[in-house]
Amino acid sequence: MALFQKISQLREFVEEVIKILYYYRGRVIFSFSGVTLGILSICIIITTIDGANKKAQDIFEALGPDSIMVFGGGEKQRAARIRTNTLKVEDAELLGRVEGIYDVMEVYSARNIMMRYKDRNWQTQVVGSTTNYFDSLAWKFQMGTPYTAEDYAKAEAVCVIGARVYDELFRGEEPLGKTIVVGKLPTRVIGVLQERGGSTGGPNIDDRIIMPLTTVTSRIVNEKRYLSMVRLKTNRDLDQTIEDIRETLRQSHGLKGSLDDDFTLRSSKDILAFVTVISGSLLLFLGTAAVVALIVSGFVLANLFYLTIQERKKDIGIRRAYGATQKGILLSFLFESILITFIGGVAGILLSIILGSTFEKLFDIPMMFSFKVVIFALLFSFLTGVLSGLKPALTASRIEPIEAIRG
Amino acid sequence: MIDLKNIKKSYFVGDRELPILKGIDLTINKGEFVVLMGVSGSGKTTLMNIVGLLDKQTEGDYTFDNTDVNGLDDESLADMRNRYIGFVFQQFFLLPYLDAIENVMIPIVYSKKGIKHPRDKAKALLAKFGLENRIHNKPTQLSGGEQQRVAIARALVNDPELILADEPTGALDSKTGGEIMDLFEMLNNEGKTIIVVTHDPKLASFGKRLVRIEDGAISEDITT
Repeated sequence: MALFQKISQLREFVEEVIKILYYYRGRVIFSFSGVTLGILSICIIITTIDGANKKAQDIFEALGPDSIMVFGGGEKQRAARIRTNTLKVEDAELLGRVEGIYDVMEVYSARNIMMRYKDRNWQTQVVGSTTNYFDSLAWKFQMGTPYTAEDYAKAEAVCVIGARVYDELFRGEEPLGKTIVVGKLPTRVIGVLQERGGSTGGPNIDDRIIMPLTTVTSRIVNEKRYLSMVRLKTNRDLDQTIEDIRETLRQSHGLKGSLDDDFTLRSSKDILAFVTVISGSLLLFLGTAAVVALIVSGFVLANLFYLTIQERKKDIGIRRAYGATQKGILLSFLFESILITFIGGVAGILLSIILGSTFEKLFDIPMMFSFKVVIFALLFSFLTGVLSGLKPALTASRIEPIEAIRG
Repeated sequence: MIDLKNIKKSYFVGDRELPILKGIDLTINKGEFVVLMGVSGSGKTTLMNIVGLLDKQTEGDYTFDNTDVNGLDDESLADMRNRYIGFVFQQFFLLPYLDAIENVMIPIVYSKKGIKHPRDKAKALLAKFGLENRIHNKPTQLSGGEQQRVAIARALVNDPELILADEPTGALDSKTGGEIMDLFEMLNNEGKTIIVVTHDPKLASFGKRLVRIEDGAISEDITT
């Protein structure tokens, strides 16, 4: 048989199925909306988890795999927000002597400080730190330079501003050399940091200004004894270093025996573990919902198909009388169900892209769409189509032509 | 073309055997126009289904166009129906989601004959039956007579040798029914073999041969 005829027959076949779907469109929409929901949730799960993992990886890289953060206040105090000022200035010096530590970054941060430039006000976090702050965090400048050791020594009123602060106060104006009022202190802007992107849920990392620690503790707040955080880098094993740090601090703070730590240690490992737990529970929760949605829609589809077959018995009889084989009937019904789930799948993918980008904008949830998602979703919808369509299609193909025609 | 020898057909209800056809011998040659007459329950429809390769006899031999069809599988039977037989039914059985010309083209989808320009052919057939303005109408937009003519066009599109019509006028008024029978006569004059199965004695005047079935056996076979 000529290839051309095969092709035109195939086209005829596909067109017929599309016409059938259009004729039964009410039922078809009902059938595929379940598939759409299932595929939608699968897409959202994958993109969210990919996004979260990507974010975790980013944080991990930004923090550095070798860094340890020390906060004032034990776990319980921090949770209750009481007496977190326990990390002494001398502690930083002690910690610098722990074996393996090659970088010590000291931080005192003051929240909710009002800033003013011309007639614009902005309330933000003021971070006072040592000169290694920008290198330690690998944070690049979009303009200007960091403060110098001399600025630090003299407690100069200079600051580096985050991208968010730059947007809010300067709105594109030239910031370098301009004076902003931080609290009550007129401060010269000497640098602007590159944008790092908001971390999920927490305060925006770009919404801060950074000044020499000395300037903050002596000229903005009066706090000469305590630090809010010390960030350390080690070239030794992370867990061992953490043990040594804990020992050093407990000794320095005079904590003996079973007394709880009055400080908190965090490493990048903890953050990664946290994200893993989050995405794990997300997978479990949404994954269950998605699978249930797909199974339910599969059953709905199968049942509607049985109904359809009862209704279309004469249709089947006619086709059989005019030369359709059992295989032909089977394929045609199977194709129909696959087409329905395929449409549902594509709709689910499109919807997830729309919904996903809305989520991303509204709730700052990172999403990562990839080719993988599309393949996965289409595979799932195909499987649903085959599984829910196979049995009804087999039933349809086994209907005897005369039985069908007699009705 | 059709050669039936001692065809028997029974249905089984539990242990009980219900004989429907009790040994039919019938030969129909190319170009004949046969009216197969019988009251309901006489076995005429069962006979038609066997002749149309839609059903299998319990006993007896059936040769179609020198082919013994007893041993054929589903696929070969489907191909033979597609190749040689055009069916016309009482209830027309047009597919509701296809328009007239698409309905006519259904047999083409399953055809292995390689018919060239099937759409033109379907269109020509519809025009021949006076339906050139109804080509894109859905079945619900057509009258009964028009639907039956579309069904006949469908039966013809694949150039079958035999038209098998089961009560083709049963759902039509007598005037329209007469027109349909005239159409069969015209097709017979063009060389098609026609078998019309009916219970309606008024149709006895059509056709060249009348075969009467009573209680599963041939009671009368008159060539006019």
